Amino acid sequence: MAEVILDNVSKYFGRFKALDSVSFTVKPGEIFTLLGPSGCGKTTTLRVIAGLEIPEEGRVLIDGYDVTYKKPYERNTAMVFQNYALWPHMTVYDNIAYGLKIRKYSRDEIKRRVKWALELLGLEGLENRYPLQLSGGQQQRVALARAIVVEPKVLLLDEPLSNLDAKLRVRVREEIVSLQRRLKITTIYVTHDQEEAMNISDRVAIMDRGRIVQIGTPAEIYYNPYNFFIATFMGRSNVLSGVVERVISDKLYEVNINGLRLNGTSTGAKLSTGEDVLVVIRYESFRKADENDKINVIEGRVERLSFIGLALQVKVITVNGHVILAYLPPREVIDTGAHIRLYVSPEDVKLYPSITGVID
Amino acid sequence: MKNNRLGNAIRGLTYTLDLPLVMLLFFTLTLFTLILIIPLATLFLKPLSVLSLRILEDLIRYPYVSIPPLGEWYIVSDRGEYKLIIVRFKDLGVIPNTILVSSIVTLLSSIIGISIALLVARYDFLGKGILRIISIIPLLYTPFVNAFVTYKIFGDGGILGSLMLSLGLPYSIEVTYIAGTILAQTLMFWPIVYLNTLASMMQIDPSLEEQAENIGSRGFRLFRTITLPLSLPGVAAGSGLVFIFSMEDLAAPLAFKVDNMMSISIVRAITGSQSIEALSVEVVILAGLLLLSAIAWFILIKHYISLKQYAMLARGVRWKPRVSKPSLPTLLAIYLIVFPLVLFSMLPQIGVLLYAFSKSWTGVIPEGFTLEHFSNVLFDSRVLNGLKNSFIYSTLALVFIVIIGTVSSYAISRVSLRGLSAIDLLAMSPLAIPGLSIAMGLLILYGSIFKDTLIDPYINPMFLLILAYAIRKSPFTTRAVYAGLQQVHRSLEEAGFTLGASRTRVLFTIVLPLIGINIIAGSMISFVYCMSEVSTSITVGSLNKSQAPITYIIYDYLTAGYGGGAYIHQASAIVTLIIVVQLIAIITSNYILKFRYAILGI
Repeated sequence: MAEVILDNVSKYFGRFKALDSVSFTVKPGEIFTLLGPSGCGKTTTLRVIAGLEIPEEGRVLIDGYDVTYKKPYERNTAMVFQNYALWPHMTVYDNIAYGLKIRKYSRDEIKRRVKWALELLGLEGLENRYPLQLSGGQQQRVALARAIVVEPKVLLLDEPLSNLDAKLRVRVREEIVSLQRRLKITTIYVTHDQEEAMNISDRVAIMDRGRIVQIGTPAEIYYNPYNFFIATFMGRSNVLSGVVERVISDKLYEVNINGLRLNGTSTGAKLSTGEDVLVVIRYESFRKADENDKINVIEGRVERLSFIGLALQVKVITVNGHVILAYLPPREVIDTGAHIRLYVSPEDVKLYPSITGVID
Repeated sequence: MKNNRLGNAIRGLTYTLDLPLVMLLFFTLTLFTLILIIPLATLFLKPLSVLSLRILEDLIRYPYVSIPPLGEWYIVSDRGEYKLIIVRFKDLGVIPNTILVSSIVTLLSSIIGISIALLVARYDFLGKGILRIISIIPLLYTPFVNAFVTYKIFGDGGILGSLMLSLGLPYSIEVTYIAGTILAQTLMFWPIVYLNTLASMMQIDPSLEEQAENIGSRGFRLFRTITLPLSLPGVAAGSGLVFIFSMEDLAAPLAFKVDNMMSISIVRAITGSQSIEALSVEVVILAGLLLLSAIAWFILIKHYISLKQYAMLARGVRWKPRVSKPSLPTLLAIYLIVFPLVLFSMLPQIGVLLYAFSKSWTGVIPEGFTLEHFSNVLFDSRVLNGLKNSFIYSTLALVFIVIIGTVSSYAISRVSLRGLSAIDLLAMSPLAIPGLSIAMGLLILYGSIFKDTLIDPYINPMFLLILAYAIRKSPFTTRAVYAGLQQVHRSLEEAGFTLGASRTRVLFTIVLPLIGINIIAGSMISFVYCMSEVSTSITVGSLNKSQAPITYIIYDYLTAGYGGGAYIHQASAIVTLIIVVQLIAIITSNYILKFRYAILGI
């Protein structure tokens, strides 16, 4: 169980700054996920940890040792690549045994360990196959077996599920988590899929344009997105623009969204009266209002209903002309064209300063 | 600042590659420096050190430049019942002759090559498959004898003239001297333009032409504005190579008895020299001029000749190229012009076989089938020794070639380091540098440095030969290996690194097994081109007759050693054997590599 520390790591590709002072600490034995849209630098971060890229600035520490300029093969990390990178000219057995041979284990020991890995991942009987003779899910498991069999200090997973179909993805995801829990290998996981990230991780780091913008447990990030980018990146949200009408407290404000008045919270900056803000409300934050709800009620007409299984998606045109999407319980009885009142709690109305909010 | 940059480059290099690979890279670069760069630089430095007004004056006098031009463009001679038209060309002197001949040959080859490529790429017609195969045949390398066959057909008292007379025509034609050289070289070299252009045309996205047609462009305008510009990489590479090959060609001027050519002057000067001092400054300058012209072309077409460009071309055809049914005039052009021309271009190769298997060929038709020439040459100790020498040199050169090819293509495709991109250019440059310039450079540099030592080329030329073979023929392997590396995803190597394997270990356990087949295929091509290497073989190789390679023996059979062209039957027999070796190697490696055009296209 090793601790991984990135300390102010910056990486340039020509003039392009791929990583901008990235710092974080991965605790021993946890699954730490780098989450962000494509091109945000998450894979580059992983490659810097693996030693496949050297950063121009900053340090990388694994288990207390500075490995910034160490070659990949001197770090004892193991990486599972997006395309699995199984060697087509080697059998499953040889693929898995490769790292063990380099570590100069005896033949019997190699045999024993490969057998252990094969069993662990349910690959018994496939050891003499070549990678091209395997299904996608099997290939993915061989790649995983090849990585864990060398007992790396750190396991690096680069979008390991992106080449699998939706059903298989959920199954392999569960397998990875249970494997990691058993082996307690410090694991760094890269994905652009926020659902996958929340599901699998102990902690998540959100990356945007080469920078880490927030680190926290999935729930922390989900409920307290630090900025507008994260708020809209995690989950599905309505985005409206408004003006701060009244400062109620450091966190609580009343905003005027073109006639619609709501109380909302700011997780980041303090806001002042008259300031332009972006208002983010997740689809699932709404419920049907009852007579007791006096504030934070949105009134409007039901424009369209769509049943999406786990919810009923309601498109509402408010009396002020805003378009709002809301998830209501799937068995809710609502008619298209009907008048509707929706309630949203002030802590689910997230406010972000609109100038810096959009950019940052 | 500069030191810092160098320091960064070295740090980056040692980080990306580990020590064994850095050493291999260093070895490769050293080889290129010692065998290519320094000798070629000597070509310019040496004359500069002794340059005088007298030498410069010499260079603009006969034989280098002849003012006024000597001889006649053509002669019409009245032979009583018929008129004999002899097409000759004037002798303008060594330097203008060479430049003019190369330019004309390049122009003619380009016109023919591009037209045929266009027809093959865009039209579907009966016999297209056959046309595609036979148009490769002229590329089979038949050192020297092919030009003698052209001479036999078109030259003095040639078959063409005799045929015209026997048909009862009042005219007879002979194409001789420089005009004959131009004809022979055009027949030899147009397929190079054709193959490179065809490869380019097959890569053009059909929708680009369809879009142009859609807005009303068609026919020649479509060709001129869309198809030709998009095929320019192939056209440029092909015609550039033709220019250079034509300049250093020996076969055609030998066969048509043209003495005033740069190539001939250089070769005669070297083979006739007893020691390094005997080489005149003027011929060194000629070799330098040859190189300068090549470099000028290389700069012009450098966009099109790098490996990276090649990767774009070789990525395989992803779409079905546009083919259509030809119109009647096009069809007539195909059957009445293209087919005869292609068959015509095969004549030298066919003629070689006819010479090799016939007792005599003095009239129109060769007479008497025989295998005697083969048994003669195979019992000739000089021939056996030459074959043995060539085989040994080529095999040893292959060791270097595999290292050069693998290391430089790996460096080009895997190491992204500024400055290292020059390797791309360097690795491909031997294709475009005249072998005679290399030979001259090697000789004047190492001939004086190592004078009277064990490796003096005037005593033991084999060492220089092996190294020259290695450098000159390495691009074929480099290219094949590079194509293989394009197919191996980087992550396959990176997976090895993260599991603890060093760069060298990854190279041997992962990369080499995956690209081994490309190395083998590329080496086979390099090997046959080594076996049939001419420029350094007949110059450097001539300095010690017991170490001469087989191409020198062929040259000797056809020239001074045994009298001009007298032993053409025997020479043809040797060349036939070489053709067989080439065919086996080319077919096998194309089968392995599965892309016909790229490899054969030189």
